[in-house]
Amino acid sequence: MGPNPKMRKEFFDSTRSSPFPDEVLERVLSLLKSHKDRSAVSLVCKDWYNAESWSRAHVFIGNCYSVSPEIVARRFPRVKSVTLKGKPRFSDFNLVPENWGADVHPWLVVFAAKYPFLEELRLKRMAVSDESLEFLAINFPNFKVLSLLSCDGFSTDGLAAIATHCKNLTQLDIQENGIDDKSGSWLSCFPENFTSLEVLNFANLNTDVNFDALERLVSRCKSLKVLKASKSISLEHLQRLLVCAPQLIELGTGSLMPELTACQYAQLENAFSQLKNLSTLSGLWEASAPYLPLLYPACTNLTFLNLSYAFLQSHELESLLCQCPHLRRLWVLDTVGDKGLEAVGSNCPLLEELRVFPADPFDEEVVHGVTEAGFLAVSYGCRRLHYVLYFCRQMTNAAVATIVQNCPDFTHFRLCIMNPGQPDYLTNEPMDEAFGAVVRTCTKLQRLSVSGLLTDLTFEYIGQYAKNLETLSVAFAGSSDRGMQCMLEGCPKLRKLEIRDCPFGNAALLSGLEKYESMRSLWMSACNVTMNGCRLLAREMPRLNVEVMKDDGSDDSQADKVYVYRSVVGPRRDAPPCKWMKQAAVMGHQRIKIHPTMNCHPGPMHPVKVLQKQEAPGHLTCSNLLSSIIRFPISSSYVHELANNGVCLLTCLNDAYILGMAKDLKRESSGAIQTCEHGGGPVVPVLSPTRLLVVPTMKFKPEIGLRSGRTGLRWAGFSKLRNIFVVNAWEHCVSRT
Amino acid sequence: MELQLGLPLPTHNFIENFDLNNDGFDPKDDMVGLKPWNCEDGYLGNKRSFEVAFGKNIKGGSQELPLLSWSGQPNDEDDWKGEKKISCSINMNDEEENQVVGWPPIKSWRKKMLHHQHQGVHVVNRNYRMVTGNQENGAGSNTRYVKVKMEGVAITRKIDLRHYNSYLTLTNSLISKFAKCENLEKDAAHFTLTYQNRDGDWLIAGDVPWQTFTESVQRLEIVRNAG
Repeated sequence: MGPNPKMRKEFFDSTRSSPFPDEVLERVLSLLKSHKDRSAVSLVCKDWYNAESWSRAHVFIGNCYSVSPEIVARRFPRVKSVTLKGKPRFSDFNLVPENWGADVHPWLVVFAAKYPFLEELRLKRMAVSDESLEFLAINFPNFKVLSLLSCDGFSTDGLAAIATHCKNLTQLDIQENGIDDKSGSWLSCFPENFTSLEVLNFANLNTDVNFDALERLVSRCKSLKVLKASKSISLEHLQRLLVCAPQLIELGTGSLMPELTACQYAQLENAFSQLKNLSTLSGLWEASAPYLPLLYPACTNLTFLNLSYAFLQSHELESLLCQCPHLRRLWVLDTVGDKGLEAVGSNCPLLEELRVFPADPFDEEVVHGVTEAGFLAVSYGCRRLHYVLYFCRQMTNAAVATIVQNCPDFTHFRLCIMNPGQPDYLTNEPMDEAFGAVVRTCTKLQRLSVSGLLTDLTFEYIGQYAKNLETLSVAFAGSSDRGMQCMLEGCPKLRKLEIRDCPFGNAALLSGLEKYESMRSLWMSACNVTMNGCRLLAREMPRLNVEVMKDDGSDDSQADKVYVYRSVVGPRRDAPPCKWMKQAAVMGHQRIKIHPTMNCHPGPMHPVKVLQKQEAPGHLTCSNLLSSIIRFPISSSYVHELANNGVCLLTCLNDAYILGMAKDLKRESSGAIQTCEHGGGPVVPVLSPTRLLVVPTMKFKPEIGLRSGRTGLRWAGFSKLRNIFVVNAWEHCVSRT
Repeated sequence: MELQLGLPLPTHNFIENFDLNNDGFDPKDDMVGLKPWNCEDGYLGNKRSFEVAFGKNIKGGSQELPLLSWSGQPNDEDDWKGEKKISCSINMNDEEENQVVGWPPIKSWRKKMLHHQHQGVHVVNRNYRMVTGNQENGAGSNTRYVKVKMEGVAITRKIDLRHYNSYLTLTNSLISKFAKCENLEKDAAHFTLTYQNRDGDWLIAGDVPWQTFTESVQRLEIVRNAG
């Protein structure tokens, strides 16, 4: 029952069409778990839409900027679990600038008001601060599950807040994040009477935790099923932990660095043999041959073995694999070589997923790793293989064709030939036929990453055959716009397209106009797209956000990195300022400090605060200041309000407001801001300020902004100018009237 | 970030004097000329397109890609970000890593872990295999990678010392490798092999026994003989 059942009933009665009460409908729909099913169900009719909205307990938001937390809360009033994803995937590879965005805090603020009983939060590629973690810990008394994957911006202090305050926590899963690992003391913050933990994954961290505290925690949490320790946990520690928790289903060991006496070895062997239920084994840092047999007794029921941090040789891997007859997922380093993969093929008939990571990805001189032979060997032995991620230095078309013949059920095929643009090493031909074979044979293919020397032909094949493809990653490939056009015209289910370093330009970008609204996002970097192309796209498709990130020193007209995504909330206001602002200020100024980021927590920046440099705002908040400014023209009452706070509106340009502190402005000196459109324009005497605040409006176009000359400001006589603060200026190509 | 310029500012008659166009400053020129924040010397404007950077390979040869010959192995001075833009190789600083940003696509965290692992592996191996105390040990236990630079050559290479068993084989192999790529003479008499030991001193290779040498060498440099 919702908080206002009477009102709901009245509303529904007037539009009743179903023969049974809403509660029944809601009950039935609550059994639906998949959000795709739920989305489909909500489109049936209004009753179903409402019932589905009321019964949805878990909401999945694939792109945090596609929607606002307010809209989510309005539609789904009873959510207990949220999954939220932020930055584009290429941020994992440092292609996205720092401070790009995806701050979780605004979401938390809304959730605290609308979902006070929130239980689960799963974040991926979001910016999370310690303050946010503390806010989360304090404001949600029922909070149970926290999962942070590939997030950044927080430190172990934030984890300490979670441990301290979340009395009902069942899962703490910290993976692959950019954490400021200050100390291990967070673990000691779990209260002594805290026993509810079921999942603890702190493999991401390096600093030592208080082992006694950990041991006590593990012993008293009888429901603990998943424990993934960090490297700081030694073998001796591990033995003690295993003794406390033989019920573990998933274990991530700490360091396997050898240091045990014979007696300790025997004890550990015994502890491993007690793990009857283990299905996942990972960690294994610094694994070395003599200690691998320790693991054998625990391997009988293993379905997932993650050796991606263990530098194993082929025979070591083979011995281990012999112990795991039920293995379904295997992650290894390429140190095992083709021979190791032959062992995989021989010993793992049930294997469904294989990931082979490179031990030495940046070393061209080194010749080791795996080749097409290893992949082939696996395909002969593991016919059920459907997920592969394979890093290699050589591949052939023939091998790939055979591989997919052997394993036609691939759903995820991610092949990375590490040398960009490398052809089939035997025939010297492009790798087009390899990927042609993949898309032709693997009709269930959902995710594809291509590499090697590829012409447009590859993309013709993809467009023609890959009918179920949802995610496509392309790098250093293609010959012309036609390649990208084929992808966009084919692939009916395409949702995510990421492209880097390909010769696709504006024609290609614009050929997908209609397509992008049915996709989650498009990423294009280091291609041939220009700012004009982006502007056109933005103009034609108002429901898409088109973001351009420019590199230092690049040509003005090039759109170095483009990120396009659909959104129901329009362009975001928290984008980082554009880099060219630094260049603009250089024009004729001495010693100007540019403040590149304006975001201060917890919300968007407060211009008055910035200008005053200290105090809390008063009644002016940034959001209403900005929102009214963006509604051009600024109202007189706002000018009045600004004046009350000592902020003086110096001038309204065509595309920006210049504000300054009244007390900065001295009447006697000279100086002016002049708006100019090819010369001429009103001159506003500005009086030598030391600080200025520039608030761009929606009309703000970077290339004609503050640069000089053509339009915008002419900085004259600002010899005292030391600080220019820029509010949310960004390379935004959406133009609205 | 402080930006310093030597430009005098007119404080009178601002409208005309400060028209940057009139002053003969083309904004674009300014940016290219001054570039106080752009530390890549010789950066020629547009980011180098893929064809230009990898042109050699596209033609279908199995030619080694010179720009990617630097390893991600840690060195004391190296910045372990591991990624810089492709840039004109001639001007590239020796210590910078000539790599494509974000390629191969390995998550930053995994790269960090592998980096730490490389350092840890050698400790393991100390007990079980014959390995030196060098921090730069390569992946796995049977390898011993060191960087090799040749004087006058921009690209630094990496070799595995395990493949050699004497100074002679090492020197000959190195010189032929470099000479092949640089079209230089292969005559060993023109070059001297020097190395930096664990104390940071540069010594001429050949004075100490081979075994001692492999244990203490950090990096190598081939210098031309004077005269």
